Amino acid sequence: MKKILLLLVLGVFLLSGAFLSVGKDVQVEDDYDEDTYGPKDPIVWTKPVKSVVFDHKIHTMDAGLDCDSCHDELFEMEAGAAEQNEDFTMATLYEGGYCGACHDGSTAFASDTRCTTCHIGVRGHARLLGDDGSEKAH
Amino acid sequence: MKIDDLEQMESEDLSTLPSAERRKFLKLGLAVTGMYLGGSVLSLTSAKNVFASGVVPEIGKYPYAPHYTMVFREKLCIDCEQCKEACAKTNHVPSYGFRTTILEKRRSLGGEKFETTFMPVLCNHCNRPPCVRVCPTTATWKDEKTGIVVMNPGRCIGCKTCMTACPYNARYFKEETRAVDKCDFCLESRLSKGETTTACVEACPADVRVFGDLADSKSRVYQLVHSPETMVWVLRPETGAVPNVFYINS
Repeated sequence: MKKILLLLVLGVFLLSGAFLSVGKDVQVEDDYDEDTYGPKDPIVWTKPVKSVVFDHKIHTMDAGLDCDSCHDELFEMEAGAAEQNEDFTMATLYEGGYCGACHDGSTAFASDTRCTTCHIGVRGHARLLGDDGSEKAH
Repeated sequence: MKIDDLEQMESEDLSTLPSAERRKFLKLGLAVTGMYLGGSVLSLTSAKNVFASGVVPEIGKYPYAPHYTMVFREKLCIDCEQCKEACAKTNHVPSYGFRTTILEKRRSLGGEKFETTFMPVLCNHCNRPPCVRVCPTTATWKDEKTGIVVMNPGRCIGCKTCMTACPYNARYFKEETRAVDKCDFCLESRLSKGETTTACVEACPADVRVFGDLADSKSRVYQLVHSPETMVWVLRPETGAVPNVFYINS
């Protein structure tokens, strides 16, 4: 009898735990609508340097920007189109081009500060791709 | 020796030990205890003439001329690894090894936020290099003129003792030459051919790496490490190796 009771209690704990965690996940998934907020996966540029990340969610859902805040004047809708341009450089950003339109130090943090917020580097890119990015043994 | 002979021998247990011998042993024990006790009592007294010394050598106290140094403006590093690529190309570094690489630090900013800092590393060309001290064949030494820690692969027997001794993990075993390979500030590939800087410095797009002669007060490295209100640090100063690669945050 004791054993059955113990199992029952344990079962209830496990089940409620499972429900809670599932419920949380579902809520986040539901909230994020790709049609409203843009692609869920981060955009990664590898030119002119490896690798720079852009996350739609932080800019749209969290910061409240609209699609036409950036598209198509600052950035073409097509992923990776910007990095084909010759002027997709930090120098252009400092002059207010691309990300620099907002990242000027007054609207958002300036382009010449907090480098590693966007520059995730070779290691960060490898981590995004599922590799742990750690140094290989030699 | 036969068992019968053994039985005939005098016993060596405590019952046959002369008391003079016991006394001598006890005295030795007391002497050792006294030494340690005296030491600990002394260590409790306050030390005099102790100063917190920095990692930057005093002006005019550079053992080499030119005293080659590299300064990293660390927070500008974005891990694009163009330095690593340029180094590998210039110095024929295989994919399994490195002469320079980038490490990553993550610091919590509270909540789920993190700040990433990339840390470029290479041979620190120490003034007291542990690798040089342990090499059994003198295949690695400090260049008398420049202070660069150089290698003669022909003299290396591949025992890898230097790799163990290096506090900075700056050495790897190169299969192609069957010898240990390391950064030589591009001495062989560039400096000896009249270039004034290393391949990694030339490749860096963010001006993180600065190379130069610390003994020259007009050089940029000198001005960077000796400028006021600048935090200058080295990696693992506690090893006493006196490294020549400095890190700053400005």
